[in-house]
Amino acid sequence: MRSPKGAWIWLVGKEWRELVASRSWWVMLAVMGPLVGFGFISAVRTYGEASGLNGTAIGVGEAFSPLVGIWAPTFSACELAAAFLLPFVAIRLVAGDRQSGALKLELQHVMPAIGRVGTKALVLVGGWAIASAAPATAVALWWTYGGSIYAPELAGVMAGHLLNAGLTIALAAAAASATDHPSTAAIVTLTATVGTWVVNFVAAVHGGVWERIARYTPTAMVAEFQHGLIRLEVVLAALTLIAAGLALAAIWVQLGVAVKRRAIESMAVAAATALVLAACMRVTASWDVSEARANSFAREDEAALARIPGPLTIEVHLAPEDPRRVDLEHRALSKLRRVRPDVRVRYVSATSIGLFEQTSEGYGEIRYELGGRTAVSRSTTAEAVLETIYELAGATPPVESEDSVFRGHPLTATTKGAAVVFYGVWPVIVIAVGLSPRWPGRRKKVKRKR
Amino acid sequence: MEANTSWVRVSGLTKRYGALAALQDVSFGIRRGEILGLIGPNGAGKTTLFECMAGVLPPSAGAILVEDREVTPRERSDLLFYLPDAIAPWPSQPVRWVLDFAVGFFGARADVLEDVIESFALQTLLDDPIGTLSKGQRKRVMLAVGLLMRQPLLLADEPFDGLDLRQSREVAATLREHVSKGRTLFLSIHQISDAARICDRFVLLSGGRTCGEGTLDELAARAQQRSARPAGRDLEEVFLALT
Repeated sequence: MRSPKGAWIWLVGKEWRELVASRSWWVMLAVMGPLVGFGFISAVRTYGEASGLNGTAIGVGEAFSPLVGIWAPTFSACELAAAFLLPFVAIRLVAGDRQSGALKLELQHVMPAIGRVGTKALVLVGGWAIASAAPATAVALWWTYGGSIYAPELAGVMAGHLLNAGLTIALAAAAASATDHPSTAAIVTLTATVGTWVVNFVAAVHGGVWERIARYTPTAMVAEFQHGLIRLEVVLAALTLIAAGLALAAIWVQLGVAVKRRAIESMAVAAATALVLAACMRVTASWDVSEARANSFAREDEAALARIPGPLTIEVHLAPEDPRRVDLEHRALSKLRRVRPDVRVRYVSATSIGLFEQTSEGYGEIRYELGGRTAVSRSTTAEAVLETIYELAGATPPVESEDSVFRGHPLTATTKGAAVVFYGVWPVIVIAVGLSPRWPGRRKKVKRKR
Repeated sequence: MEANTSWVRVSGLTKRYGALAALQDVSFGIRRGEILGLIGPNGAGKTTLFECMAGVLPPSAGAILVEDREVTPRERSDLLFYLPDAIAPWPSQPVRWVLDFAVGFFGARADVLEDVIESFALQTLLDDPIGTLSKGQRKRVMLAVGLLMRQPLLLADEPFDGLDLRQSREVAATLREHVSKGRTLFLSIHQISDAARICDRFVLLSGGRTCGEGTLDELAARAQQRSARPAGRDLEEVFLALT
């Protein structure tokens, strides 16, 4: 028998050849350019209009951050591709061996199933990396326009989309291995994707435990990365889910194992995943990689908050769909949690929209408790929240340095060359390379045409 | 080991799908250096038997023994290689690459690669993707892959299916040549005339049970005992008498 390393190199080569032989990958590549191009061109135009109209002022700096203004809309094409195109590429690669009968031959090799599935995942990530040349082209174009690029936030966005692609690959691999036909696998994968959207919707309506679960959905994860926030618990949860998906794929790709045993192994994987996810939820480390510090209070405030002793409890009487609650959560509480992981926030509401609670006594109140002292406020701005906490703690609010204010990078640029690159050059190159007779499986067809 | 004693024994192999028994207590032996034919009507369980032996399907009961010791999955992958019927693996890849992959991935024999290509007349097909080949051409490629493997025992499901008469004879000669060099073959064949031409011994399978095992003479003698009508040395008659 060939050495495991030698066999693995052949397997990588085989999976790569199968990937480039699949039409679904070429379709994804061809579509990626126009998708990215549409997002990028629209974003640059809007960014330019906003820059020309408003100039630069304190407080609107975030609007002129390429992170929110350019990268988020440009890379959103990757989210779309990961949800609707990548699953088919992954299913084709995983289920193709079963359909063609190659699996019956390959599984006679002693290589462990996780090795095979891992190799497929690796090649698919490589295929995704090639497709990511489209947003990378957008980054290059932005640079040629004189746009600002802050590497940490750009790397954060790319990492978020890579994790998202990893989740899609793991899910599709598990579905393709556990089902008999690729169409069933596609239905299962898309159902799971839609299911995460339903979770997001239910979380927005009902809050509570759903809100907690929704923080781990791919959509929420990508949104955080697109805002420059990297939370270790989300990264660990995503890696755990990827590992679980690949483990399930490895369990179900085996042919000579009884279904009962595979079901037991799957349950063990599910139980282990649940335990690890529960442990992940206790991790509080996070990093704000945005240049605008969009997910953080000012450094002076962070230092002052960290010095305040005692546990802080905040009770918010706002319904899940009340815009004030969303405002409070995004502008203040999420930033507060990063500085003070010990803060306990409790949301109280009788309904989901709060429309008929407006007249109820106490609705709209935000009740603070710190070291036995209490305060009530109705303001949902970050400034008001900080002011209340300083008041409770008897601390003097720090003076924010003028230098620490992010003033943004306004740019009025035309999208010169972008339409040609994304709508013309990109698809033409992809189609030309994809149809090249040099790829495996094309030579014969070309010969026969002659 | 003596030529007439079993090298590999299949013992009590059973495969159930719920209440349906596809194989029931199937037992027989395989001798080193022989061509053993698995004969049976459609639905007899021939492919199920091969897949259980190869570890592609999990058997409900039973074992494969070598010298009275049950083989582990690891030992099985060193012992035998199974060639399924009606597969078109790696359909986008050219024949040359498939043969190279067999050598590279499975550690098959590179030293006999060119001989095997010549034996199965694959020279003109080397650049053609598997998916564009006819059934017979694909069968020849798969047999070439099987014969490249290092495992001493090759299980081939319907090795002559899709081949014309001339090709069948040529393939049979090639298989016989490899057996003369020490390879053992276990072939599932539904065309009894093909089986009679190439196999040294036979295992008769019907309704998931073994109905007989032995050379044609041994089976004919057994059929004679069972039936009032003499079966002679015609495998078809023997088969009908015993199943």
